[in-house]
Amino acid sequence: MKMEDMSLLGLDNTKLEALAQDIYSDLVEDSCLGLCFEVHRAVKQGYFFLDDTDQESMKDFEIVDQPGVDIFGQVYNQWKNKECVCPNCNRSIAASRFAPHLEKCLGMGRNSSRIANRRIASSNNVNNKSESDQEDNDDVNDNDWSYGSEKKGENKTINPNSPRRSKSLKHKNGELSNSVNADPYKYNYNTGINYETLGPDELRSLLTTQCGVISEHTKKMCTRSQRCPQHTDEQRRAVRVFLLGPSASSLPDADTMVESDCYDASDGQVLMSRLQWDGSSDISPSDSASSKASTNNSDSKKPKKKKTSLGLNSTGGGGGSGSGGGSTGGGGGSGGGSSSQSSLVGLANRKKKPKLPVPPAPSIYDNLN
Amino acid sequence: MSKDSKMRATINQKLTEMGERERLKELLRAKLTECGWRDQLKANCKDVIKEKGLEHVTVEDLVVEITPKGRVLVPDSVKKELLQRIRAFLAQHAT
Repeated sequence: MKMEDMSLLGLDNTKLEALAQDIYSDLVEDSCLGLCFEVHRAVKQGYFFLDDTDQESMKDFEIVDQPGVDIFGQVYNQWKNKECVCPNCNRSIAASRFAPHLEKCLGMGRNSSRIANRRIASSNNVNNKSESDQEDNDDVNDNDWSYGSEKKGENKTINPNSPRRSKSLKHKNGELSNSVNADPYKYNYNTGINYETLGPDELRSLLTTQCGVISEHTKKMCTRSQRCPQHTDEQRRAVRVFLLGPSASSLPDADTMVESDCYDASDGQVLMSRLQWDGSSDISPSDSASSKASTNNSDSKKPKKKKTSLGLNSTGGGGGSGSGGGSTGGGGGSGGGSSSQSSLVGLANRKKKPKLPVPPAPSIYDNLN
Repeated sequence: MSKDSKMRATINQKLTEMGERERLKELLRAKLTECGWRDQLKANCKDVIKEKGLEHVTVEDLVVEITPKGRVLVPDSVKKELLQRIRAFLAQHAT
């Protein structure tokens, strides 16, 4: 390399550095100038101070930094200890439990129809024999409000609707010995009816609405519905033969089946008539869900098979199940209205809805009615 | 030192022609906004305006007050990065 070049390079380096610095400061000045022009224009146009708030407002909305309080100054658990008065039942409920309580109180939540149906089923049983204890059952389920003495018992009661309820019980289907053992947990009192103490008329009325199969262990009749999955139709027929004599071994015919099929809609209508709500279509999904839950099993195919095995009622059964599906869909209005009176009698019957697509069968329904 | 000034002129010309100057400007503006330099200076502007009075403030007032502060307030990281880029450009395109 030539000396000149080296010196040039050396000079160039420092010069380059100086040059770089100059370029840099030019750029920074450009930015500053740009900012000044912007601000000046904003001032002259009058929008420079627009995004400021006045001092008073600033003080009002200042960030709060105290313990126990959020940055807006609100207390965190302010509503924890407050109590509200329920407009429906006029009880005072804790605020955090108010919404679930209202759900049950108005009968509009997911569980509330299930509980109501169970209550009705149990009261039907209880009317025959023992004391009716409905108020306690209701309060046991409604955990928001209770008598002071009952508090200890509340938490220990097994919630029949909780999914954690032992699934092992479900697998013991078909065994007489276990069926009644499951029931006391379900209904919270001593279920099962001692058939020996009942007269023939009572027996007959019971047997038309309930399963009635007598448990070997406890000698009591199963109080579940006609479609109770723990007992077969053969068992039911055998019980009827045993109790009522061979001539009276008729399992419920199409009429009662229809009644209990449309019970869902009519039950919903009875509950809802107080509130004057429109449309049983709102009710029917919950009703069908509640009917499934209250019979407390997941096997929907069994009723189909059982129905076809019945020599008596095969057509009626098919129509019944179809119209049952239809009733929950949309034909519930006509069927529900006609049999709402008698449905209250046959309340223990909870039909499982087989998972059929809802057939448009109001015509069949009219024929049956 | 006309060589220097010639060289300078050439380089500046190249910088502008190739669009590098604009890119560097944008980069600087973005970085300064990001680091809060702009808001800082705006607050200073507010003080100047309140001092001089809203109606009578001129661009000159602002420039005179703000530019020196602005130069000082540029964070080091931004300065370094920009210088680096400028040097890279010079190394690439000078002589």
